[in-house]
Amino acid sequence: MFNGIAGGGAEDLPQLQSTMRAIELACSYIQINTNPAAAEATILSLHQSPQPYKACRFILENSQVASARFQAAAAIKEAAIREWSFLSTEDKGGLISFCLGYVIQHANSSDAYVFSKVSSVAAFHRYSFSRILGNDLFRIFFFWRYMYTICMLIVSVSQVSEFSPSTSSAMSLPREFHENCRKSLEQNYLKTFYSWAQDAALSVTNKIVESNSDVPEVKVCNAALRLMHQILNWEFRYSKGGTKGSINVFSDGMRSDTASSRKTECVIVQPGASWCDVLLSSSHVGWLINLYSLRQKFAFEGYWLDCPVAVSARKLIVQLCSLAGETMHRSRAASAPPSVRVLPWIDPPDVISKEIEEGRSGSEMIDGCRALLSIATVTIPVVFDRLLRSIRPFGTLTLLSLLMGEVVKVLLANSNDKETWSYEARDILLDTWTTLLASMDGSGVLFSFSNLFTNCNFTPIVASASATTDEDDADCLASVSAMDERLGSYALIARAAVDATVPFLTKLFSDRVARLHQGRGTVDPTDTLEEVYSLLLIIGHVLADEGEGETALVPDALQTHFVDVVEAGNHPVVLLSSSIVKFAEQCLDANMRSSIFSPRLMEAVIWFLARWSFTYLMLVEDCNLGSNQLQSLPSRACLFTFFNEHNQGKFVLDIIVRISLTSLMSYPGEKDLQELTCHQLLHALVRRRNICFHLLSLDSWRNLANAFANDKSLFLLNGVSQRSLAQTLVLSAYGMQSSDASNQYVKDLMAHMTSSLVDLANNSDLKNLAQQPDIIMLLCIRELRGAASATEPRTQRAIYEMGLSVMNPVLRLLEVYKHESAVIYLLLKFVVDWVDGQISYLEAHETAGVVNFCMSLLQIYSSHNIGKISLSLSSTLLNEAKTEKYKDLRALLQLLSHLCSKDMVDFSSDSIETQSTNISQVVFFGLHIITPLITLELLKYPKLCFDYFSLISHMLEVYPETLAQLNSDAFNHVLTTVDFGLHQQDVDIVTMCLRALKALASYHYKETKAGNTGLGSHAAGQTDPNGVFHEGILSRFLRTLLQFLLFEDYSTDLVSTAADALFPLILCEPNLYQGLGNELIEKQGNPNFKTRLANALQVLTTSNQLSSSLDRLNYQRFRKNLNNFLIEVRGFLKTK
Amino acid sequence: MSDEEHHFESSDAGASKTYPQQAGNIRKGGHIVIKGRPCKVVEVSTSKTGKHGHAKCHFVAIDIFTAKKLEDIVPSSHNCDVPHVNRIDYQLIDISEDGFVSLLTDSGGTKDDLKLPTDDNLSALMKSGFEEGKDVVVSVMSSMGEEQICAVKEVGGGK
Repeated sequence: MFNGIAGGGAEDLPQLQSTMRAIELACSYIQINTNPAAAEATILSLHQSPQPYKACRFILENSQVASARFQAAAAIKEAAIREWSFLSTEDKGGLISFCLGYVIQHANSSDAYVFSKVSSVAAFHRYSFSRILGNDLFRIFFFWRYMYTICMLIVSVSQVSEFSPSTSSAMSLPREFHENCRKSLEQNYLKTFYSWAQDAALSVTNKIVESNSDVPEVKVCNAALRLMHQILNWEFRYSKGGTKGSINVFSDGMRSDTASSRKTECVIVQPGASWCDVLLSSSHVGWLINLYSLRQKFAFEGYWLDCPVAVSARKLIVQLCSLAGETMHRSRAASAPPSVRVLPWIDPPDVISKEIEEGRSGSEMIDGCRALLSIATVTIPVVFDRLLRSIRPFGTLTLLSLLMGEVVKVLLANSNDKETWSYEARDILLDTWTTLLASMDGSGVLFSFSNLFTNCNFTPIVASASATTDEDDADCLASVSAMDERLGSYALIARAAVDATVPFLTKLFSDRVARLHQGRGTVDPTDTLEEVYSLLLIIGHVLADEGEGETALVPDALQTHFVDVVEAGNHPVVLLSSSIVKFAEQCLDANMRSSIFSPRLMEAVIWFLARWSFTYLMLVEDCNLGSNQLQSLPSRACLFTFFNEHNQGKFVLDIIVRISLTSLMSYPGEKDLQELTCHQLLHALVRRRNICFHLLSLDSWRNLANAFANDKSLFLLNGVSQRSLAQTLVLSAYGMQSSDASNQYVKDLMAHMTSSLVDLANNSDLKNLAQQPDIIMLLCIRELRGAASATEPRTQRAIYEMGLSVMNPVLRLLEVYKHESAVIYLLLKFVVDWVDGQISYLEAHETAGVVNFCMSLLQIYSSHNIGKISLSLSSTLLNEAKTEKYKDLRALLQLLSHLCSKDMVDFSSDSIETQSTNISQVVFFGLHIITPLITLELLKYPKLCFDYFSLISHMLEVYPETLAQLNSDAFNHVLTTVDFGLHQQDVDIVTMCLRALKALASYHYKETKAGNTGLGSHAAGQTDPNGVFHEGILSRFLRTLLQFLLFEDYSTDLVSTAADALFPLILCEPNLYQGLGNELIEKQGNPNFKTRLANALQVLTTSNQLSSSLDRLNYQRFRKNLNNFLIEVRGFLKTK
Repeated sequence: MSDEEHHFESSDAGASKTYPQQAGNIRKGGHIVIKGRPCKVVEVSTSKTGKHGHAKCHFVAIDIFTAKKLEDIVPSSHNCDVPHVNRIDYQLIDISEDGFVSLLTDSGGTKDDLKLPTDDNLSALMKSGFEEGKDVVVSVMSSMGEEQICAVKEVGGGK
């Protein structure tokens, strides 16, 4: 009963009835769409009225209209969230037991949505809920017809309890509270629930077994199983370490040990030691398995395998297989029973797969594979293998490889239809292998168990793997990364048996190449080409790791095997690599190219060469060393030296450069190929200095540089590739002996482009000329930009001069191409990259020059774009135009940020005193130019918004004094945008605005305290000519911020940043703050709330020995105060 | 080096209206001729036809004068026609009753053969700016023998 709230009695009845009728009417109006606004208002008033429980309850109990009941349930939920903190304990209890009672009574009714709303109310207050449920359940549990409902309820609780910060803040309760709820549920109730569910399921098992048809008990059993499943899915935290003193409130609960790359989900169950007795009692597992296997006698009816109970039972079994944590450490042997019982699902593989092909459901097989994965995750490989030894002549690993072979065979046989069971099974098994192999590397047991692996026959797997990639390609074009992962897993398997696989791959490759040559011109080569393509990919994965962002090492497996090889020419890896390089070399011949090297094959070749050369080419002993104990092996030495600079290295390097030039010149329009060449292959080459050194001495590299500087066909490359090519070429200057030589090299490289750009800009007829598309194509801005982004200390001079010489042409071109947005963007990006690379090196006078240049750039851009309205014939074009504008502005903001960095990082030889340019003034001036272009519409682009506000907050934090000197227009403009930013949804942006405010207010406070003017007239407020008083900027923000904190919705993460901003604001404007506080108190009608608010306000500024100085300690105290303040008052302030 | 020098000639009446360019090099935001109409490309996607065939480019483009959407598929190594698109700024000197405008050319002559744009926003801005006596600059886009006013800017100078 809701005593106190529903205490009215009979005299309220007419009123309640009229409310109900009004709501029902409104609901039906909404349904037939008559006067929706008024109806919505009616419903909204119910939702927002204080304490609507009585009315809602009346509606829930008496209304015949389902949607009205739904609205009432929703209103209860909202009101409860809002008012929870000041309901009396009695009311809370009454509300929850009403909800529960309602749910249980109406469990069988058809309107599930009302049900779910009400139950979510109950679930919401999970803390009290679990306590009450604990008591109530004893009373009602044995009525099985309720059990289904109860189970569903608990399921919903445990799902809800994966709660998000939003639910915790909505009740304005601190996170600790929810953590405590969690803890109590986990420690006190979960296990009990589990045993109940188990009992419930047990009690109905017999009935199910005896009957043949679909009895209602099946439903109960299913629900119970689902509940058990759900409970095991719970993220156990507290029982792991036994007694954990304090709760880590802010832990995000992520498990650190799960490999994120997994495609198949595998939850590790870690319930802790206390669960031992429940989970591991053999009767429990035995019962479950029996339940499952008993039902197999119905299999002929086609009823069992995929029916819900079976699915849940299987899921549970799989989960039991993955029992980990302390439970398992106690009695590892106990994991054997479930895993052995799973065996009939997957063994013998060939028989089962045949049955599945004949129409049996594959779900059992897949779950069996999942169980294997679970076991593999929690056991080390030896134990994993031993599991089966007791009952079979072979180990689990053998079974696994048999299974894999079978699955891949089936996959190949019906490769046409996707989404078959074999796809899923294959992925799960691959994950299993990866898990096993990865844990082997880590534990250092590689040597002792490699023989274990060689016993299993890997070769068929790898063979089929390379064949499977054929089939995958068709659908993997879209998801190359998915294929990459899969190939990586195959490669891991292959590396485990490297003795067999490398020669095997070599043979396979030479075989296919021979076939290609034989059939030239007579047979359609497509199939063979495709096989070569896949082979190249898989070999690349086997021989080398990705090495993204770090020095790639030769894989350990390849270093340690082949110990008996002493001559480099016989090393299998060398043989394999050489045969591929030899094959790739053939693409230099035009005939071969046209008949064999299709663009796609070339892609694979280039990809392979990039990966391979990064790992093997011209290794420097020190940096590519693996683990130390391996160094002395002779086989390893010959692998390392064969491709170094004294041996074949230079020769291979030459071939690679020639191949890349061919791929750039002879495959016009193949974008992907060219990108691969520029981004991966050439980049991989210039990454090491010793290779750069050799590159520069090669004729082929000189050809490439020449072609880049002078050849038109390279101008036709895609923009991104062009840029990266320029970058690569400039980076290779690193290999020059002296810095002068490097500078000269870069100068020569870029001279032609710079001069042609200057020529063009000085042409008297530029205006007419410029619009011709061929001229636009020939603009070499992209190359310049690439070069600019490759700035290094050694080549900085040359690139600075390059930029200097094109400064005026750039401005001129900006003028001429004002309508050609693509060109404008290129120009801007060039300047941005150039300034970014150069600014920190420049001397004072050079800086001044660059800054002036940037400012005139900004001015020209702004003069062309301000106040311009374009034809908006189609929305697509309009959007395009907007996007272009956004990109331009973002580039300009980046330019300003880069200028800012001059004050932070400065390598110039001048001392700080001689700094002639005041960067902060310049940047504010720049902001002044471009802010009018940034409309509120454009700030909707998140990246632009982010860049803008990060620049603003940086400026305000670092140079508040410059802001104070701005004229009032500019000042106001900046602060209007800050105000706008405060009301953004994005937490980051609001944070930045708050930081800006903090900087501003604390600057003012400190300055005025020291007797200076601070922000002066901006802060003081002024009277305008009409006699209206405009309040100062700080007062305005104090008002806004208080409004924001008390009445708006925001993430709790913002509170501490807001506190940092609020504190100095209050110190600056103490009188206004008092006034606002009084106003707030006056507004409260309820005297109870009035005193509470007054007290809270008092405490906010006085408790914790808060003093009026702005130091770290005080900020901390104020943060704490504000937190408490908000918890205290926000609940009722937000209630209307 | 020097024999590769480009010759910058001014375009004249005899110049071609289009220019050939490899399909693979036409980017989003560039121009292309589809079915004889000058268009702006709003979407390019490359697809591979067959396992070892050549790439093809799929263009979605919008007619720059009529805003109709057009599509085309071209092998990436083939040439496409790219229209010459010129934009010239003129100062607005008069708007006549019948909806024609007079524009002042760079050389001091007038250009009287263009109508007010069909876009209401644009023509309203032109009219109001003109009536207030501001300096109004219009951009005229021309391509393949067609012309249209495509943008307006007030330079200020109102009374």
